[in-house]
Amino acid sequence: MPLVAPTLAPYVKARPWLSKLVQPLANWYIGASGYRQMGLRADDLISEENETVLQALRRLPPKEAYDRIYRLRRATQISLQQKVLPKNEWTKPEEDVPYLAPLIEQLDAALKERAALDTLAPLKKH
Amino acid sequence: MICRAALSRGSQLAVRRQGARGFAAAASPKASYEPTTIAGVKVAARDDNGPTTRLAIVAKAGTRYEPLPGLTVGLEEFAFKNTQKRSALRITREAELLGGQLTSYHTREALVLQANFLREDLPYFTELLAEVVSQTRYTTHEFHEEVKEVIHLKQAKIKPSAVALDAVHSVAFHSGLGAPLYPTPSTPVDSYLNEHAVAAFAEAAYTKANIAIVADGASEAGLQKWVEPFFKSVAAEGPALSTTPAKYHGGEARIASVAGNSVVIAFPGASLGANKPEIAVLTGLLGGESNIKWSPGFSLLSQATAVAPGANAKATNYAYSDSGLLAIEISGQASAVKKVAEESVKALKSVAEGSVSQEQLVKAIAKAKFTLLSGSEVSGVGLVHAGANLIQGGSPLKVAETLKALESVTGDKLKAAAKALLEGKASVASVGDLHVLPFAEDLGLQV
Repeated sequence: MPLVAPTLAPYVKARPWLSKLVQPLANWYIGASGYRQMGLRADDLISEENETVLQALRRLPPKEAYDRIYRLRRATQISLQQKVLPKNEWTKPEEDVPYLAPLIEQLDAALKERAALDTLAPLKKH
Repeated sequence: MICRAALSRGSQLAVRRQGARGFAAAASPKASYEPTTIAGVKVAARDDNGPTTRLAIVAKAGTRYEPLPGLTVGLEEFAFKNTQKRSALRITREAELLGGQLTSYHTREALVLQANFLREDLPYFTELLAEVVSQTRYTTHEFHEEVKEVIHLKQAKIKPSAVALDAVHSVAFHSGLGAPLYPTPSTPVDSYLNEHAVAAFAEAAYTKANIAIVADGASEAGLQKWVEPFFKSVAAEGPALSTTPAKYHGGEARIASVAGNSVVIAFPGASLGANKPEIAVLTGLLGGESNIKWSPGFSLLSQATAVAPGANAKATNYAYSDSGLLAIEISGQASAVKKVAEESVKALKSVAEGSVSQEQLVKAIAKAKFTLLSGSEVSGVGLVHAGANLIQGGSPLKVAETLKALESVTGDKLKAAAKALLEGKASVASVGDLHVLPFAEDLGLQV
């Protein structure tokens, strides 16, 4: 199963007019999904139950890893309490940056390259 | 006579080629490396027209020049890892596909990145070595997942004899040449060794002024053609590395260990460029390692080990750019090591008293000549020596002149050399069961 669902995002982002059109909808969707109200970032939602993601988590700098755990624990706590954070503690759009996805992509690329190199077929010239 | 039809196509070709060339036409291999400069990089090349090539980058970045402990080892392990252009895996697989071998190792003065490959692959491996030197990424995850792990594995394999040799260098030269060749598990390097420090060290170490390319079996024309474009990206100069001239101090070190027993007795020896043939002959005379199978041999140290089975001893002159160390290394069972240490000091004293016969002298000179010639011939040793000489500003070993100097050694010269060694300060290191292993004073040495 691919780690990240198929997406049109790069296609849309490459076209400013389309991006301008879709952006309000995207903003509404992010707000409606509610993770920012719990103080999470989008990359906190990636499922951990996967070798690649576990390896990527191991590669996080110590500060990032600590902050991630803090956000997850805080979110679990307020979820139990059936509350959302006060508005000044919501994740701001500029804080919601991908910190794990680049590492996962890097690992995926390495795996793909390994698979490609492992299945090389010799080209016979005669 | 073999019938022509019985030969396969390949062997027929081989026979024909041999006939066409003839033995007289075979190009005679050059004994010494020829130093040149290509595009600002020092190059030493030797071409014996063989089918394989050994190409190495020798950088002045051995443990002597590392600014913080462990950085040379870190840089060595970071060789052939991810670069800006390709991944470590791709480098490995491509080298495998071409049938090449990639190795990195270090001495006290030099860090060597070496590639052995088929002659026609010179452009690929020249590019690869240049890329490794100038574009390695020194990533954090590789440091934690690979470099550190490999260093720990190698540390677990350090033998007591290596610990003793490091200790003897440490008491003999203090800092610089005295830095350990490989940090032991108990050496605190974790606070110094990280990917950022290694990257900073690489910037200083891998500059055109600081490296030499040594090629064994590559054509001059090929090097001229490929070194210039690929080494364009290597910086001409970087931050300076600290170099203090080596000074011999002498002293004694004793380290308790349960891994084994080793005693190293060392004296100031001959440096790389020094004209001290008597040290080489003395090393040959002391010998140690047997030249004949199933026999302990007839050198002085072999005779010393014959008295105490369970230990072995050998004499080596560790030559560096501005200093040297003549070391007698003994290892084995504690009591045997003690006995051999006593016997070898006695043997050295007998040389100083002039008890060396003409026959022994002839044997020792022959041994020294063989060591020199086979050393410059065997690719590994010769390669490192040629590179080390170049980066230190000297010229590669002149085999013919050195041979002549060796032949001129007389019994009196040898006696004087041994006497000077014993009168000066010795360096002694004992590792192992310190209850049994002797002190330098008990051996009759001044420290």
